[in-house]
Amino acid sequence: MIRVIYSPQWFYGKDIVIDLVSVFVLLLIAFFSFKYYKIRKNKNYVYFGLSFILLSVSFLFKILTNFTIYFHVLETKNIGFLTLTYQTIKTSDVLFIVGFLIYRLLTLFGLYMLYSVYYDQPKTNILLIAYLILVSTYFTQSAYYIFHLTSLILLVLLTIQYSKTYIKNKNNATRMLASSFGIITASQILSIFVSISTKFYVVAEIIQLIGYVILLFSFLTVLRHGKKKNKD
Amino acid sequence: MERKRTRIDIIGDMLTSILKKGGEIKPTHLMYKSNLSHSQMMSYLEDLVQKDFVKKVKKSHYEYIIITDRGCEFVQKLQEVKEFEKAFGL
Repeated sequence: MIRVIYSPQWFYGKDIVIDLVSVFVLLLIAFFSFKYYKIRKNKNYVYFGLSFILLSVSFLFKILTNFTIYFHVLETKNIGFLTLTYQTIKTSDVLFIVGFLIYRLLTLFGLYMLYSVYYDQPKTNILLIAYLILVSTYFTQSAYYIFHLTSLILLVLLTIQYSKTYIKNKNNATRMLASSFGIITASQILSIFVSISTKFYVVAEIIQLIGYVILLFSFLTVLRHGKKKNKD
Repeated sequence: MERKRTRIDIIGDMLTSILKKGGEIKPTHLMYKSNLSHSQMMSYLEDLVQKDFVKKVKKSHYEYIIITDRGCEFVQKLQEVKEFEKAFGL
């Protein structure tokens, strides 16, 4: 049977809060990217914003799925009727499969879109990668770690890109940005091992939170610098 | 090699040049400061006047270009965009 929950019971809900923080940060950056597109008229801003939207929607699916599963688990315990409990678990399984498949699919597409903002992709490549993402997402049903490995590769490439940008511009915000992506990458490494122990899930989620908080601070630094330069 | 300036870059350069001169500048000075030919500058200037970013005024037989509040706001927004672009490497 598919394992539904990787989180320890005491962590139920806390992971949802962490994911909500991530959604907030991603939506905030996406909003400003679209706002800046209106001024700059550069398509990269649209793709950049869209990739952040995809990532935030993927988190929303994860939150929704987790929320429903946790709710069902708690409900099952309270009711205690054998037939009802069985039905509830079955519903959770279907929800788990569909919800998490959408979460994984959108995450990978979001990361790939962000990657293609920095690395020019011919149309044939886009089709090929889209196919590979679909296939790898399908196989995550039986081997969840394929998703974390694929995300890991894309995140490593993005971290390298932001590090290169930092070497070039020596901008403090870019350094924070590269660090945040590096930390989010580290959370993916830990996520690979969640089936070994629930502790990995907890640590991975906390590291993810640190990554997104740094991402938020790097973005706020960008906004502050922009406003400060105007005053100068 | 420096990349070619976009239309928005040129508009930004023109407005910043006006601001650096205290908010008003003579057309010839603006042309030199923003590295444009006369015809290019006139075309951009027309656009800026239409968008209400600048206005032309006559002061003791000379024509001056004055930046408006809307123009100042645009420079501010553009600076934010440039900072975003620089940090995220867009």
